[in-house]
Amino acid sequence: MMMTATPATPATSPRRILRLLFWAALTAFLLWDVLGAPAIDLRQEPPLIAAGSGQAASGGHCSMPGK
Amino acid sequence: MTASSGSVVRSATSPAAAALPGAAPRWPLTGAIVAFAAFLLWSVAARQALLFLIGVGMGAALAAARFGFTTGWRQLVEQRDPRGVVGQVTLLALAAMLAMPLLGAFPELQAALGPPSVSLLVGAFVFGLTMQIADGCGSGTLYKAGLGVPLNMGILPLFALGSFLGSVHLDAWLGLGAMSPVGAVEQWGVGPALGATLVALILVGTAARGWAGWRQPWIDRRWVWGAVALAVLATLNLLVAGQPWGVVYGFGLWAAKVATATGFFDPAANAFWSQPGHAQRLAQTVLLDVTSITNIGILAGALWVAARERASAAPRPLTATQWVIGLAAGFVMGYSSRLAFGCNVGAMLSGISTGSLHGWIWVPMAFAGTLIGLRVRRRFGF
Repeated sequence: MMMTATPATPATSPRRILRLLFWAALTAFLLWDVLGAPAIDLRQEPPLIAAGSGQAASGGHCSMPGK
Repeated sequence: MTASSGSVVRSATSPAAAALPGAAPRWPLTGAIVAFAAFLLWSVAARQALLFLIGVGMGAALAAARFGFTTGWRQLVEQRDPRGVVGQVTLLALAAMLAMPLLGAFPELQAALGPPSVSLLVGAFVFGLTMQIADGCGSGTLYKAGLGVPLNMGILPLFALGSFLGSVHLDAWLGLGAMSPVGAVEQWGVGPALGATLVALILVGTAARGWAGWRQPWIDRRWVWGAVALAVLATLNLLVAGQPWGVVYGFGLWAAKVATATGFFDPAANAFWSQPGHAQRLAQTVLLDVTSITNIGILAGALWVAARERASAAPRPLTATQWVIGLAAGFVMGYSSRLAFGCNVGAMLSGISTGSLHGWIWVPMAFAGTLIGLRVRRRFGF
């Protein structure tokens, strides 16, 4: 295993720049998505707690098959 | 463990990590997290705001405890250290004890039921292989990206792309052979399902201890509190969302949205994405998607933990070859996670804790893949 480390990085290190780029890209994606999507109908808001609401879950999950 | 994550783990487990000079104050980030939750509450849905905060808790717990599913398996195989696997078994047992009675009490709650299939066998094996090279499963990639580990930040978009392509091809994979999902709670009832699950988990934990050697330390406080925190948060996710914790679906959805918007993909012509539920989620903002919102929360929670560790030692840079291999592994990991009907969270944790047979098939296949993946890791000097 490579556990060797170099000293702490300055504010302009590539690692810190990469981190800024990562969060900037994520923020840009979310902004693009929200601005491009249809307006949210707040009257159709799901119940705060699904358990006991009587409404079946409608979210996507990775265990869902394609058929 | 890669050089990148290795140094992060080492710095975090050091008692002096939080006191290192140069550590950033957390209040700006805390303010941003609260502001985003308030935005969700005001503009999206109260449930989504709550799920975001649950995700923040998951990210903070994963990052602070360094609760790495991948690392735990690797430590068991390479160092005969069973503490990580025992921690994971503890998590599964606690989550099952909380989730199964809830599934019995509230019929609107859903289990993570994936179909036993050729797709599952192949996907789980390849996922277990590639997660060792990429040094992180679905949740591991998320929290390490949140911590600022370069390789995992680079992997995340490729993981999303792979997950999307896996969903596009899923229908063809299922055509190779699949049976209907099997849920123990549905089939046997809560008591027998929970009893059988706990017995099986005790056997797994005992086998891990026995293989490692009975004199080896097998309990670690970090793994135990991580297991307790994650079990509670996973249960809250089930109660609030109505479905178990998942990671992979959200990433595939993000890439599907980009592919659709850019004209590269027609969801109406695809068996998976043309289904009403998937098509609806594709048309609306990801902020309404349950899995997407907890994923964002996990990233934020891990970043919150990392804010106090800014002065920690930087990782040794990876070589160009290691970058290429790591990124390619991340892409394949995303693809295989869809074939496997989940990663360590969606298939293993959520599957087993809600009584799904596919979770129990996933584990041995992914572990077999891990044994190969560890050899590949060593081959490329990770």
